[in-house]
Amino acid sequence: MMHFIFSDEVVLLFDFWSVHSPTGMALSVLVILLLAVLYESIKVGKARLLYQALMNLSIPTSQQLIEETDQDSSSSDSLPVSRSPLRWFLCHFGQSLLHVAQVVVGYFMMLAVMSYNTWIFFGVVLGSGVGYYLAYPLLNMT
Amino acid sequence: IGHSHHMGMNMDMSGGDNSTMPPHHHPTTSSDHSHNHMMMMMPMTFYFGFKNVELLFSNLVINTAGEMAGAFVAVFLLAMFYEGLKIAREGLLRKSQVSIRYNSMPVPGPNGTILMETHKTVGQQMLSFPHLLQTVLHIIQVVISYFLMLIFMTYNGYLCIAVAAGAGTGYFLFSWKKAVVVDITEHCH
Repeated sequence: MMHFIFSDEVVLLFDFWSVHSPTGMALSVLVILLLAVLYESIKVGKARLLYQALMNLSIPTSQQLIEETDQDSSSSDSLPVSRSPLRWFLCHFGQSLLHVAQVVVGYFMMLAVMSYNTWIFFGVVLGSGVGYYLAYPLLNMT
Repeated sequence: IGHSHHMGMNMDMSGGDNSTMPPHHHPTTSSDHSHNHMMMMMPMTFYFGFKNVELLFSNLVINTAGEMAGAFVAVFLLAMFYEGLKIAREGLLRKSQVSIRYNSMPVPGPNGTILMETHKTVGQQMLSFPHLLQTVLHIIQVVISYFLMLIFMTYNGYLCIAVAAGAGTGYFLFSWKKAVVVDITEHCH
């Protein structure tokens, strides 16, 4: 049975990423931390691109619906009238690329935790926290 | 304490070599000799290869390039199906909302006016068909997500690329008309 251990030796993800020393471990934890920050930022980035894509489609978002008072808002069930098909397509394509990046980074983080090295695990958890803290306020910026 | 890497039958994994066997790494994290007898037959770093690749089940072993190509396509389609299933569940959920509760509360608006912000809570009855269907689809989604995780855990480069590409393509194709409400706090999904 595997269990979490504190150790200065680990091989992470790739053959060339083998750590033997405390310095190497500190650096690796930093890299993993930044990876987790990247993961949270990608999630925010996707949401922002979605917002942009919806703007291009002139579908009112829930934020806009709250701001509208007595105006008739267009029904979201009608066919989307794209103001700029190319921009919308680019937004959607960008979202898909970010999705691929999110899947890959997410799996990398899972595999890093699977090394069962406690320092690495702390790096992932801390990085997720720092990433969430830094990225989520950017969600509502327009 | 430095353990040198003992590799079962190994080979030189410098990339570009297509026909090597997956390296069997012993984890060097243990500082206790007696634990090393319990060796991990699973690779712990990424490799490209198609010989003797076990995929999820004991009698599903890839040995040739053709089988790897088939496995690539199957994994690609599985990842695409997973993304489609997620979108389909979202759509089904929206369509089947039954009871809707409105809570209105005043919030300060621009120019000092007071706006009424309305929160909508929706729910489903427990024994209704939509909820049961959602539950079945949820189980399928959980199983497929764990399968994809286990496939990625084979550390086989081709299969991992298939997972990522399938997820991207599925997201691109199925999210064409995506809901306005985005839940970005979900992890891994």
